[in-house]
Amino acid sequence: MSTGSNSRVRNLEILAAKIRRNTLDICMQRGGYAGQGVALADIAACLYFDELRPDGRGWFHDRFVLSNGHDAIMTYAALAEHGSYTLEELRTYNADGTKIDQSPIEGQLGFEITAGSLGQGPSQAAGIAWAERQRGTDKRIYCLFSDGELQEGNVWEAAMFAAHQKLSNLVYIIDNNDLQASGATTNVMSVEPVPEKFEAFGFFARRVDGNSVTEVLEAFEEAKSVTGKPYVMVCDTRLFAGIGCLREALPMAHYVAQNAADWEAGLAEIDAKIAALAGGA
Amino acid sequence: MLLEGETTFDDAPFDGISFDLCSRRKDVVMVSADLSKYTQIIRVKEELPDQHLDVGMAEQNLISVAAGVAKAGFVPVATTFAVYATRRAYDQMVICMGTGPHTSIVVGFTPGIANPARIHHQAAEDLGMLRSVPNATVIDPMDGTDFKQALDVAVDLPGLVYMRGHRGNTPRLLDPQRFRFELGKTYRLRSGSGTGIIATGHATQWALEASGILEDRGIDHSLLHVPTIKPVDEAGLADFCFAHDRIVTIENHQIVTGLGSLVAEVVSDVGGGPRITRLGVPGSWAPGGTLPYIREQLGLDAAGLADRIGEAGR
Repeated sequence: MSTGSNSRVRNLEILAAKIRRNTLDICMQRGGYAGQGVALADIAACLYFDELRPDGRGWFHDRFVLSNGHDAIMTYAALAEHGSYTLEELRTYNADGTKIDQSPIEGQLGFEITAGSLGQGPSQAAGIAWAERQRGTDKRIYCLFSDGELQEGNVWEAAMFAAHQKLSNLVYIIDNNDLQASGATTNVMSVEPVPEKFEAFGFFARRVDGNSVTEVLEAFEEAKSVTGKPYVMVCDTRLFAGIGCLREALPMAHYVAQNAADWEAGLAEIDAKIAALAGGA
Repeated sequence: MLLEGETTFDDAPFDGISFDLCSRRKDVVMVSADLSKYTQIIRVKEELPDQHLDVGMAEQNLISVAAGVAKAGFVPVATTFAVYATRRAYDQMVICMGTGPHTSIVVGFTPGIANPARIHHQAAEDLGMLRSVPNATVIDPMDGTDFKQALDVAVDLPGLVYMRGHRGNTPRLLDPQRFRFELGKTYRLRSGSGTGIIATGHATQWALEASGILEDRGIDHSLLHVPTIKPVDEAGLADFCFAHDRIVTIENHQIVTGLGSLVAEVVSDVGGGPRITRLGVPGSWAPGGTLPYIREQLGLDAAGLADRIGEAGR
């Protein structure tokens, strides 16, 4: 399977690096879910700048449903590159009175659902996919949720429904970072083997390296070739992947307080990476 | 606005209501969680299959899938028993349906003691749960005519609408030619003085029965039907209360958080006013069994209600 030219991958890797930088820029103001935003940057770059088709009016033809609200930082950081948000307004993230909620409310630009109560995105995305198919549109529906969310029963109700309805316009993206609020998912309540579980429910499932632009692009391409069943890409990620100093310092930081990270060191590392990528190194 | 003559009954009110609505409105989808047969969605399922969606026995999925259907331009009517919609999937109703602008309707059937299986199948707290949700609409219709007209209005309302449903052997009480459901409006079914009775949903049927006995006993009274629990015409409700010496509320619900609480809140906001006696499920689990048996046990049968209303008015 080909993902096209090297320049396509390189451009997405540069965008991913900029999304990582935006994540740090936003979270260093008052803290936030920085580890997740950094880790999801490669998926976000592929999703927003390659997979979701533009609608010609500055937005997207296809629909993205964020289920785990705290991963909103990924969307904010990506949409800053898209031009839909300014970094200045995003820097109010986590401030009193801000509209930039850490977990967003339905209707905010970029967010189809109110995403703070976990486990409810997959079924809403499945409902959207069913309805779009009923309407005869060619829209594809993407839903991001986390490995911890797999512990919510509503997720498996959704999986059963999506497979029963043969929703081939639906792609689940699982942020499989082996981390939830109180520790490693493996220790709290193991969810593996995730692809096999979804296969048993009737999905086409693929485990991918969530920090490999090439693998993510390949999975998105494969999803479009699957007929008669929904697709799930189980994306193995790790907090702060792509910024080594923060990854090493904060491997289990579900939430990062403002004073808990060496933000400047992280920025320096990612700036160097952006410069190297832009220079073709 | 009440029909005259001997009362007739509709064996399957929602079959006709849902089929008529889906025939007129091709954007409406009846969503079920394995209970289409038991909520009497028969013809839509058979004759309009594109407007029928069964998510299986999974009520959290029922509400959240329906919410997704709403976000893609359809008007979902999610149907199940009131207990499952509220107790099992309350968070999905509040978050998936209640925080956005898309019309999302939930119909809870066999509410309160209208289900024979005690405790686990009797949602006698659903109205209170829903009326505390910001911006939600809550409706408890009294018969098939009220139910049909309220649903016709609901499909054009924004956000979450929770409505109690009727199934099987439902009396035809309101004259469809003279009754017009309007959101928030209260309806005076009998005008008098002394004791003012306020009822909603199934309990308005029971109040009408009691009203006949009170009339035979020569006890003057009024009867107000309040189909919309939220938003309600508070000024009209207050005017009714302050025009009577005593108020008796009757509901197919716990006597806390529902209609009785609503009336007490409206009266206390004004200050002073009549004493309010709240009748319904009195803070305990209701018994199971046939509806006449449960009503008799709770003092909600026609004679029991008439006695208690008469006592309250003394």
